Amino acid sequence: MKYFEPKSVSEALSLLKRYGEGAKVVAGGTDVLVDMKFKEEPLCLVNIKRLPGMSYIREDNGCLRIGALTSIREIETSPVVRQKLPLLWEAAHQFASLQIRNTATIGGNVCRASPSGETLAPLLVLGAIAHARFPKGEKKLPLGDFFLAPGKTLLGSKGLLREIEVPVPSKGSCGAYLKHAVRGAMDIAIVGVAVLVTPDAGGQKAKDVRIGLGAVAPTPIRARRAEKALRGKVVGRALMEGAARIAASESSPISDQRSSAEYRRWIVEALTRRGLAKAWRAATGKEVEG
Amino acid sequence: MSLNIRLRVNGRQQSARIEPSLSLLDLLRDTLGYKGVKICCNTGECGACTVLFNGKPVNSCVVLAADATGAEIVTVEGLAEGDRLHPVQQAFIDTGAVQCGYCTPGFIISVKALLDRTTNPTPEEIEEAVSGNICRCTGYAKIVDAIHLAADRIAGRP
Repeated sequence: MKYFEPKSVSEALSLLKRYGEGAKVVAGGTDVLVDMKFKEEPLCLVNIKRLPGMSYIREDNGCLRIGALTSIREIETSPVVRQKLPLLWEAAHQFASLQIRNTATIGGNVCRASPSGETLAPLLVLGAIAHARFPKGEKKLPLGDFFLAPGKTLLGSKGLLREIEVPVPSKGSCGAYLKHAVRGAMDIAIVGVAVLVTPDAGGQKAKDVRIGLGAVAPTPIRARRAEKALRGKVVGRALMEGAARIAASESSPISDQRSSAEYRRWIVEALTRRGLAKAWRAATGKEVEG
Repeated sequence: MSLNIRLRVNGRQQSARIEPSLSLLDLLRDTLGYKGVKICCNTGECGACTVLFNGKPVNSCVVLAADATGAEIVTVEGLAEGDRLHPVQQAFIDTGAVQCGYCTPGFIISVKALLDRTTNPTPEEIEEAVSGNICRCTGYAKIVDAIHLAADRIAGRP
């Protein structure tokens, strides 16, 4: 196996160009090392861990900019993330163990493009944008379009994720991230649901609703029909329960050793319902009424 | 292809010539002989291989040895001062928090990292600190007792 520690993004890009599909980018390494041990070593390992200037959390004009090499623990312990993006904080807090959070990076979690990646459903509902460098220059790629299949993203074999831009949700909105797993945070999510609701001024209607689903489709997805069923409506229990059922029907889970597809759909419905109720209560100070 | 790395382990300068795919765990156990670092799941889930990497607990099985170049690593072998055990080690003995013992070095490192952050941990902080360490003898209650005892001793509480 060839091994490189590029000193700059452009050096990393030229290595990716030279080795194509044979190159594997590694940052924290918590996934890549496991693959190398139990599957196979890549032709060429491009270790970007020490690329300078790629680990930061900066507030900038209504968004937070998070460098791709920022560790999950840095996100979890960042006061500005806790204050401005509590939904992302929740996902970081439920992300595996402290040992893994100290090592894993947000860029790695995004580029790994696992349907169950802990930060992905929250980033989707927050409307995050990937800033990636390609040989021809920088591209802004909304995460809604970024994920193509498990392990496949718009980066292809030539692009390098540099930064995640996360818009700060509008004032008055509240979110929730609920995860169902057998062993709590340590475990891979059987289902993860991220919800972001923005009530209108009167606290009656849902001005905006976003629902993100993890681990129940080939990529993390938005439950757009469920969102539409709530948007602009007076929020009540029956409406939320209906939206949760729609969200379950929008998922396309697989059966595997962690659970059956049917069970996952039930969990999507339950977590969506609970997440909506929790976020609505946090945003309005009121229980959802039937 | 191999590369040269230099790092500090338990305060001692070490260097090695390694394969780039080598994990920090294999470097510490097999190349440098720190057998206190245990190999178990080898996938970053059980915590038996926990070491401090620049003061922070990590699973050494999913860290590239190459990334430890220039780093300060602490293993369970680095905690005692001469014959005097570290307060966390002593507390594990005094409360009977050790059964088969295989998970113990990883637990002790995680607890040391916790008590380096705070000597008055909340139940939530304790749970967070060791939720990445699995004890298959299910001795968690005594481990939590050990953490409280070690915290009290380090903070000088009677």
